[in-house]
Amino acid sequence: MARPALRKPERSAATVLTMRRVYVLPSRAGVAYTALLVLMLIGAINYTLGLGFALTFFAGSCAVVDMVLTVRNLAGLRLATGRAQPVYAGEEAQFELHLHNDGKADRCALRVGFHPPGTPWRTQPPHVVDVTAGASTAVVLSVPAVRRGWLAAPPVRLTTRFPLGLFGAWSNWQPDLRVLVYPFPERDAPPLPSRGDASAEGHGAVGLDNFAGIRSYQPGDPMRHLAWRQIARLHPQDGGQLVTKHFDGGAVAELLLDFAELPPRLDLEARLARMTRWVLEAEARALPYAFRLGHHHYPAALGDAHRAACLRALALYGDEVS
Amino acid sequence: MLGSMMRQPVLTRDKADTLLLVVAALLVIAPHFAHLPLWTSATVCVTLFWRALLTLRGRRLPPVWLLLPIALLAMAGVWYSYRTLLGRDPGVAMLALLLAFKLLEMHARRDLFVVLFLSFFLLLTNFFYSQTMLTAFGMAITLVVLLTAQLTFQYTGAVPPLTRRVRMAGKIALLATPLAALLFIGFPRIQGPLWGLPGDARSARTGISDTMAPGSMTNLALSEEVAFRVRFLDPAPAQNRLYWRGVVLSNYDGRTWSRIGGTPFRTPDQTRDGLTMRLGGQAIRHEVTMEPSERRYLFTLELTRPDLALAGQRVATSDELETYTLRPLQQRVRYRATAHSEYTLQADLDPALTGKWLQLPPGFNPLTLELGARLRAAAAADRGGTLEIVHAVLQALRARRFEYTLEPALLGRDSVDEFLFRTRQGFCEHFAGSFVFLMRAAGVPARVVTGYQGGEFNPVDGYVTVRQSDAHAWAEVWIAGQGWRRIDPTAAVAPERVNGSLARALPQQAPFGFSGLIALQNDKDSWLSRLRFQFNAMNNAWNQWVLDYNPERQQTFLAELWDKVGTWRTPAAAALLGVLAWGWWRLRQARRADPVQAAYGRLCRQLADFGIVPVPGEGPHSLASRVRALPLPEERKAAYAEFLELYSALRYRALDDDERTRSAARLASLLR
Repeated sequence: MARPALRKPERSAATVLTMRRVYVLPSRAGVAYTALLVLMLIGAINYTLGLGFALTFFAGSCAVVDMVLTVRNLAGLRLATGRAQPVYAGEEAQFELHLHNDGKADRCALRVGFHPPGTPWRTQPPHVVDVTAGASTAVVLSVPAVRRGWLAAPPVRLTTRFPLGLFGAWSNWQPDLRVLVYPFPERDAPPLPSRGDASAEGHGAVGLDNFAGIRSYQPGDPMRHLAWRQIARLHPQDGGQLVTKHFDGGAVAELLLDFAELPPRLDLEARLARMTRWVLEAEARALPYAFRLGHHHYPAALGDAHRAACLRALALYGDEVS
Repeated sequence: MLGSMMRQPVLTRDKADTLLLVVAALLVIAPHFAHLPLWTSATVCVTLFWRALLTLRGRRLPPVWLLLPIALLAMAGVWYSYRTLLGRDPGVAMLALLLAFKLLEMHARRDLFVVLFLSFFLLLTNFFYSQTMLTAFGMAITLVVLLTAQLTFQYTGAVPPLTRRVRMAGKIALLATPLAALLFIGFPRIQGPLWGLPGDARSARTGISDTMAPGSMTNLALSEEVAFRVRFLDPAPAQNRLYWRGVVLSNYDGRTWSRIGGTPFRTPDQTRDGLTMRLGGQAIRHEVTMEPSERRYLFTLELTRPDLALAGQRVATSDELETYTLRPLQQRVRYRATAHSEYTLQADLDPALTGKWLQLPPGFNPLTLELGARLRAAAAADRGGTLEIVHAVLQALRARRFEYTLEPALLGRDSVDEFLFRTRQGFCEHFAGSFVFLMRAAGVPARVVTGYQGGEFNPVDGYVTVRQSDAHAWAEVWIAGQGWRRIDPTAAVAPERVNGSLARALPQQAPFGFSGLIALQNDKDSWLSRLRFQFNAMNNAWNQWVLDYNPERQQTFLAELWDKVGTWRTPAAAALLGVLAWGWWRLRQARRADPVQAAYGRLCRQLADFGIVPVPGEGPHSLASRVRALPLPEERKAAYAEFLELYSALRYRALDDDERTRSAARLASLLR
């Protein structure tokens, strides 16, 4: 029967590193220290040095105390998952983890890092954090997001050599945390498709007829649409942000991003990449867009929620079950 | 340099850490300055200072091409100083230099550990030279500094202030102490050495030697060094009977008394034809702990049967009843012996064999020879025996106003004549030597016995400390039918020497011109004496238990310990302690648990009496609706409802700390 912490750790959103889950081995310095102790013992025996024995045993006992303290530096640490924002494929997925120290002693020099199975530990420099007594610390670990879809956080490994560096203690945790990876937005994508009869005016003049309220600024919004009066009310430090006047209706026909309309000779991922780029572009230009992908049919809209829904549909296309 | 320090009052972390390491290294090496060659100490100091300066100024460390020649030069220096690179002293010198140079060549974390480990080893080598309590104390402090340095380098984030780090290192040291003590007591000890000690492992010491020339005892008398300590297992004899027999000197060349050459050493199992003894009177068992003397003599209370046993050493006895080890005593040894207050030694020796104790060098001390002849003639005329002659001489010594002094007048070629008839000033060696000479001149077989006389009884721990200053020489004369008899001519002249201490026997000068201090020094009840006794007892305990805890001692101690605790009571007490510790731990766990959750647990137990048990996943609200249906007094139901309301708020709503504590307190009160 495998011991609990040597087994694959179970997925959990929060966990406490109990004593049984913390493993300890001498570090390289610890092995050298052992050799030193043997040498000192031999010296003490050969020259019959009473104090030599005392020093050797004391130094050895300090190592034992160090071992216990090193384990205690990890044991009892409470771990919890934090936020994880969606990313685009090719970016780094960021996972936030919280380390809570419920104990009375500071925990110093903890190294936290992802330790994907099958890779050697230390492929990437782990984060080094201190968690003072009764406090908690957040760590953001990142993993390259290669494929679209859900990306689960790899197992986390925590190690420490504090206080004397003679022993290394470690523990593993599989946080129950995943991020959504959107498809990579195509570079140099063709312009937004447009349908309808007002195409002659181009999309620059879209929806300028009726004032329809304000929305947050997005790159690409014309300067003259900025709602200066609202912006002036609140300083950015107090939560104020740039807002743009938003108009709707008008002559331009509705923009529809339809996956089925894309040339079928294109690779599936390439089509998804183009759709992604278009969604971002439409948002950037504040052009309300309808979205159609498989069984997802979203009416024309604008804004973070709409964009998120569209990108989510794109990210999960093909494995909708998850 | 001061200016640059003023400009940056706060050191950066790297600098502070490195300076701490330099200080630790200095603490480690400093005790060695006492015995390192001067140039080595200077080099170490300069190197450490250089390192500190580089750190403070933020300069780069010197390159290897500069360090390597310097290190090689230093090694050459060590060879030049000692003419060897092997052995203890050159080894220590090289380690000290290595540590200093290594501090200039630190680049990686690994180097830090190299520095620390070198320091640990140098700390050990310090015990070659000194193992006093003071040394141990200094080492303990150094060790805490080393631990602090080691600890400091492990911090990755903010480094706490030095005091907190020192406290942390102290905590580690304190936690380590019980285990270290347990290991010290219980770890199987091996009798060293594992291989031959290098020649310089021990330095020469003072002590009784196997010759006695004028001045040899006087030198010893000035040394306060401890020769051995004795614990009496039977009531201790009076001070004037504490004769510690050592070396027997029978040969005289006109100046120096020496042992009879070629006396074979015999182990107890070998037959000893000439050595017959009858022991009687009171048996006095005693245990002697002898300091390393670099010589082979073992001292025992007179007279002890030659059957000493010593672990790891062969013990032999000579025909003169001297006890030896076959190898010089390089370590403290402990042995038990049984002395007898009454004895006859070689009473049936054939008088024809006593010739070697009658020999005198021709052409020396004509006056004494003549006096001897007269004594012999007088005794023969009176038909008196040998004893008459002895008594007559002792009488004469008493009558002639001899002076007992550490600073006798210088004696020429016929030293006995000059001493007996002219200067009349002398120390025990003069009295014993002259007496034996005179006895031989009178035809009485006689020899000089050297050893120690007296000792200081310490009321604190009951040990008798015998110092080099207690070194003494006395005489033995052989009387037909009675054997060897101890005669102490010094006692005839200065009885206070054998009844008290040497200090009292000698005319004293007032220290610092205060005559009161003498009284303070010699009065057994003065605070100064008490303090000294305390210190001596502590020192003795230190020797007995820390420095001299050898395999034998370990065995006896563990056996005694087992005798004391190896009954049914020990496991019972251990079990009781275990149960108490477990209970305490559980109590602490319970107290540490969330008080809100604990209160909820109490509520659940109360509700269980009414048949309400929350199903898994049931929240406080659904529980509250079930409680409302209970046939209970209204105020009770209201209390439960409020409890559940508060509980739900505490569990699921964001409350500030103030509200939280108030609600939790209210919660606890609702269940009463």
